[in-house]
Amino acid sequence: MSNSKREKDEHLERLWYMKEKGQDSLESLETFMEGEFDSNIVDELILDGMVDVGGGNGNIKLTPIGEKCAAKIVRAHRLGERLLYDVFGGEFETGACEFEHIVTEEIIDSICILLGHPRECPHGMRIPEGECCSSSSRTINNLVVPLTELEAGKSAKVAYINYKDERQMHKIDGFQIRPGVTLKLRQRHPCYVIECEGATVAMDEEIVSNIRVWSKESQVEPQKHDVPVTNGKGARGWARLLKFGRGI
Amino acid sequence: MATDSSVKKKILIIGLPNSGKSQIFNNLTGEYSVVANYPQTTVEIRRSRRELAGEPCEIIDTPGIQGLYTQSRDEVTVRDLIFSEKPHLIIQCLDANRLKQALPLTADLLELGIPFIVALNGIDGTSRAGIWIDSRRLSRLLRVQVVETIAQNGKGTAELLEAIDKARPVSLRAPYPAGVEEGISCIRSMLPDGLSFDRKIALLLLMKDPFIAQYLEKTYSDIDVASLMNKVESIQRGFMGNISMAVSRKQSRWVDGIARDVVQKQIVAHNDLPQKVACFISQPLTGIPVLLMVVYAMFFLIVNVANEITELMDAFLWQPVEHWIGGMVPAGFIHDLLIGEYGVLSLGVANALLTVLPILSVFYLFFNLLEDVGYIANLSIMTKRLLEKFGLSGNAIMPLVLGFGCKTMATLTTRSLASKKERCIAIYLIAFAIPCAAQTGINMSILGRMGLMAFIITFAVLIMAEVIAGVALNKILRGDPKSDFIHELPAIQLPSMKGTFKKTYYRLVWFLKEALPVFVYASLLLFLFDRLGILNELRLLLKPVIEKVLGLPLAMVDAMILCMVRREAAAGMIINLIKSGHLTYVQCIVAVIVTTMFVPCFANTMSMIRELGGKKALMMVGAINMSSFAIGGILNWTLMALIKI
Repeated sequence: MSNSKREKDEHLERLWYMKEKGQDSLESLETFMEGEFDSNIVDELILDGMVDVGGGNGNIKLTPIGEKCAAKIVRAHRLGERLLYDVFGGEFETGACEFEHIVTEEIIDSICILLGHPRECPHGMRIPEGECCSSSSRTINNLVVPLTELEAGKSAKVAYINYKDERQMHKIDGFQIRPGVTLKLRQRHPCYVIECEGATVAMDEEIVSNIRVWSKESQVEPQKHDVPVTNGKGARGWARLLKFGRGI
Repeated sequence: MATDSSVKKKILIIGLPNSGKSQIFNNLTGEYSVVANYPQTTVEIRRSRRELAGEPCEIIDTPGIQGLYTQSRDEVTVRDLIFSEKPHLIIQCLDANRLKQALPLTADLLELGIPFIVALNGIDGTSRAGIWIDSRRLSRLLRVQVVETIAQNGKGTAELLEAIDKARPVSLRAPYPAGVEEGISCIRSMLPDGLSFDRKIALLLLMKDPFIAQYLEKTYSDIDVASLMNKVESIQRGFMGNISMAVSRKQSRWVDGIARDVVQKQIVAHNDLPQKVACFISQPLTGIPVLLMVVYAMFFLIVNVANEITELMDAFLWQPVEHWIGGMVPAGFIHDLLIGEYGVLSLGVANALLTVLPILSVFYLFFNLLEDVGYIANLSIMTKRLLEKFGLSGNAIMPLVLGFGCKTMATLTTRSLASKKERCIAIYLIAFAIPCAAQTGINMSILGRMGLMAFIITFAVLIMAEVIAGVALNKILRGDPKSDFIHELPAIQLPSMKGTFKKTYYRLVWFLKEALPVFVYASLLLFLFDRLGILNELRLLLKPVIEKVLGLPLAMVDAMILCMVRREAAAGMIINLIKSGHLTYVQCIVAVIVTTMFVPCFANTMSMIRELGGKKALMMVGAINMSSFAIGGILNWTLMALIKI
């Protein structure tokens, strides 16, 4: 029985992806299922009132109840990716594939709160909102906080960024402000000024609040990116520097 | 390489904003185009020809871009230039202090397969910050020549010239994530055979570049863009995730890898004085007093140094000449034409050389120094909140601040603003009450003769006029939402005295080249108007406005006509009116305010027409004139009433 639930979940998840891409034919569900398509499961889902095949014209879509259910699964999957990507920094796809089938809604909400309500998964797909998002719940010590909460003069490492759109992503990326880099918040007033990789950038508060950074209190620091500072080579570096000075 | 008929080698200088491209251009060509410590100094493409190794070459300076994925119209210009002109060589001017920011552009350009050189610029700055960049290693990793330069004082130019001669085509092909590569080949197969840079164009299409479809439509009429876009859509649907983001993440990893290999940082904290200074001048609590002090210092210098020089030059240079000519030429037509009230020598040459030039010299020297330090651009932080009230995002700050330098250039930089409403407001505000560098200098000189209070009143009124206009326009104009404000600030640095003097020198030379003939023609025009009686007619026509509303003497009509031609041209005349006691305290303030706000100068009007189209631009000019007279009138009545009390 549990196996059937897992398969149903998979079908619902794929139906959600199809909805995102604007597709609604049975054939595309078969393609999306990559060989794991099972018409019996579809029949069961119809009986459960989760999907609607619209009178047998080859179309299939989620009913409102099915949509609610699928949103939960996709939310869990993408939040799982976010968690694995941000915290552990490694391959996240395989882990997250199983993730959505084993966690409860409470755990998912906790992760969402912990991560400061991310809006997109690492692939850039939208994470369906949960109730915790609309009420912007927080725990006492969020692991990931908006950059606006950093004190002026302090540095922090970027966990992820909630981009408004693709253009904004390119713009922010252009300044090398992206997950993994360390930023310094130079000042908050009269507008936010950030130092990053040698550049000083002034920004709107709205954008700054969508840059989420690891709070200093957190014990779990991501291990993904190493800082390109070469330690212990100071003396050699200096010698080169002097030589280089003469060379010009 | 260049085997076509033109036998010309095209060399493109490309780089991020404020990375020193113009400086490199100047060094390579021996010409001078304005360089400054802030982004967007170059708004237009500049070309220059010279022989390199016996080959006639064209060297092209371009406005800064972030990458080949474009965000605004000014960036598109540069990309279209690369795609359509197919240069024989690209020099990327790469600011060593912002290596990581610049490398994505390097990756984009390397993929084009055009011979490529990196000019690693500003390495003096990195060594001061305790950062060392292994340029040889960088050269090996990128497989292109990397030349270390300090463009500001011309170091590395010889090596760069040598590298230009040796540059060979590159072939770096960044592999993209699996789905993307397939998408690229699919799109490429739909593009016509022999299309240059088809791989890059295919990638940009997949990344939903906002301008690439337009480019294809415009340049290749035979491409079916609609079906191409349909294909792009279907590839995007089939891709797990976001193509743009996947490409950009891949590029980031490449950038991180290169930076890790070539950058070494000193462990001991480097000198962070520049940041501290930047913080100091951009926090309201300390920044506003600093700003007031800077403005006062400028005022002090103009009043006590420039005005003195003007007086001395008048006494020792002009008066003897005037006396001598007066003795040689008997009173009459020739006498008046040369040294009369509207004489070519008195109102034209002497006005330009002996009155305006000294004021501008002092002003530009100080202004260029501030520019070089990075003060002007960092000022933008403090004005951001205010601009929001005008419906402007912070992006409009730079054009407005640049307006204090030259309004014409500032108007052209508004094309970096994405929203139409913002551009309209910014262009209006630039043309309206912002005095350009020349005007500010002249205003200070005129008002200085009346005391500090006159100066304070005038500038307070100008600021108020600008604020009211901004708020009103924001209410009146409807339009798209504000664009995102993400703006890079230049680093605070010690000014280079040599560079500052050089820039002042060139600005003055340009002033003389451009303005001296205009001054002469303008005085000739007034002379003719006077002789033909037109001037009298004009005075009679404007009498009610000038005398009744503005409370100014009729002689101001002449000054206003000069003003329309060129801002500074009226200076001598107003100063003479003050000297001869024809302008009272209140009249002086009203005169300066009206001449500052009314009719944007000819060049500014032309640039407005270019950016907005004739109809809108002329409507704006009309509105500006009406409001300048209205404000002048209200001010006149208010001040008169206050004095009576």
